[in-house]
Amino acid sequence: MANNAAEKKPAVRLEHVSKRIGGKTIIDDLSFEIYSGEVFGFLGPNGAGKTTTIRMIVGLMRMSQGNIYIQGHSINGEFKKAIRQVGAIVENPEMYKFLTGYQNLIHYARMIPGISKDRIMEVVKLVELQDRIHEKVKRYSLGMRQRLGVAQALLHHPSVLILDEPTNGLDPQGIHDLRNYLHELSRKENVAVIVSSHLLSEMQLMCDRIGILQKGKLVGVEKVNEFIEKGAAKVRIQVDDGRLAAQAIKEKLAIETERIDETTIELPVEHEKIPVVVDTLVLSKIRIYGVAAVAKSLEDRFLEVTGGKSVE
Amino acid sequence: MSNFFGLLQNENMKIYRRTSAKVMIIILLGLILTAGLIIKLNSPEPKNDHNWKQMLVQDNKNMEKQMASVKGNKQATDYFKKTIKMNEYRIDHNLKPAQGETLWSFVQGAGSNLIIVISIFTIIVVSTSIASEFDTGTIKLLLIRPIYRTEILLSKYISTLLFTVVCLITLFIASWLVGGIFFGFGGAGEAHLVYDHGTVYQSSWTLAVWKDYLLNCVSLFMMVTFAGLIAAAFRNGGLAIGLSIFTLMASSIVVSLLAKYDWVKYVLFANTDLTQYTTGSPLRDDMTLGFSLAVLVVYYIIFVLVGWLFYTRRDIKA
Repeated sequence: MANNAAEKKPAVRLEHVSKRIGGKTIIDDLSFEIYSGEVFGFLGPNGAGKTTTIRMIVGLMRMSQGNIYIQGHSINGEFKKAIRQVGAIVENPEMYKFLTGYQNLIHYARMIPGISKDRIMEVVKLVELQDRIHEKVKRYSLGMRQRLGVAQALLHHPSVLILDEPTNGLDPQGIHDLRNYLHELSRKENVAVIVSSHLLSEMQLMCDRIGILQKGKLVGVEKVNEFIEKGAAKVRIQVDDGRLAAQAIKEKLAIETERIDETTIELPVEHEKIPVVVDTLVLSKIRIYGVAAVAKSLEDRFLEVTGGKSVE
Repeated sequence: MSNFFGLLQNENMKIYRRTSAKVMIIILLGLILTAGLIIKLNSPEPKNDHNWKQMLVQDNKNMEKQMASVKGNKQATDYFKKTIKMNEYRIDHNLKPAQGETLWSFVQGAGSNLIIVISIFTIIVVSTSIASEFDTGTIKLLLIRPIYRTEILLSKYISTLLFTVVCLITLFIASWLVGGIFFGFGGAGEAHLVYDHGTVYQSSWTLAVWKDYLLNCVSLFMMVTFAGLIAAAFRNGGLAIGLSIFTLMASSIVVSLLAKYDWVKYVLFANTDLTQYTTGSPLRDDMTLGFSLAVLVVYYIIFVLVGWLFYTRRDIKA
């Protein structure tokens, strides 16, 4: 990844971005890059500064320090050139409820030159709203509004797509379709997609890389797969006496067992050290009925990285 | 600025697609119709008077006597002079004075009474246009386009002023029609006499009415700009509407309370009524048209500058 990244020009680059509001540091020296053709997930507990960061990327908020570049254009210095590349939903897709879906799209189309009526209908078909597009938005369900939000973000062929909580209000089929579509956009049209979501399992399926934000600081930016694999893996061992087994491991190997009950123990241990653990247990005359590696979910890893804070 | 026309189209769409805009126009039409009905039912039938020339001659004689008795009172003398000249002009040019309500007097009356209503409507429109996008959150999708915030704000301001123009045109056409239906379309050709420094000449009623509209719109223009400032600064439509309408209503009382102080001339509302210079009795003797215009310009620049700064500089947290 590192080599790959060095070759590619970043679609979005944050350079030492800080945001202070009333003496309080909301975002603290944030630097990272997002590349064309990848889906980047933004994770963090409530109040970590995800939305603030997204607002700074799209120019709704000014940064106190640092700079953000979109396709090489500074959002501060070359706002029009930079924002032209961006399609976004910030928080909820709030549309004009007294207008029809189509009028909403016409409204945004007028703000960027070169969007034809055909393009509008193309996007409408893409989000499958063609049957209801001439109805007023106030009669739309949350899922339909979400899809209309996606439509307005895609109108002008953005090279950077930012979606805040895009799966909100979508049914499982809708989530599945959106996921496929985002993948397609990033792979085929080389769009840089930035999503934030509180559904970690969703992020796991949707994103290529994730950045974890906590208290305004970036805790880590990693590939989803590496992120999950990183750190000590866990192993679950079925034994005849859980307590004795845990004691033996603690004494001989100095590993703290995480979960103990009558017949099962769970402990963090690297893959290559599993035989050592087994040997130790055998030498301590503990009977082993089963050994299984426990795959960690993004959620486990997330809680680990953020220090057990719950997510949103 | 190439797609500024598109921005205006957008703002117009957002003004007129709302139910409130339609309701406002209906209220305006209803008020004109009601006013016409009330005046019609309360005014006596005009009697056909063939001796009007003799009556005017008699009037003039009476007034000349009165004028002699109030010598030294410039205001009264001016008034008598003006009326006498007008009457003489009517006699010379065989222009019978209108009796009772006519089409044009109704149009004029509707203008001076209903522009306050249009002011309130426009204040609501500008406040809604600027502030409601923060309430509903649509501002976030509006400001992430390759358009500067200044252009967005300008398009909102101009579309609001266009709304005023639409209201004025509606007012003019509707009151002309209502005036014609109730008081006779025959009055449409009535001569409009203008007295200017001792001479009398005929002018068009349409021109006179629109000049009235324009003069009455000075305070509308200032208060709408003020409402825009409040809406942009506090991002709260209710506050902008309430504060602006309250100020508009309270302005005449405040000015009359403060009239004894010298500094009242720097108060905005002492200067919004420019008709004080056409009727010849300004609030304070040291006030001139030029002075009032200068005060208005200073207030205007402050309103626009402060509103613009708040709108373009503040973070969007909605």
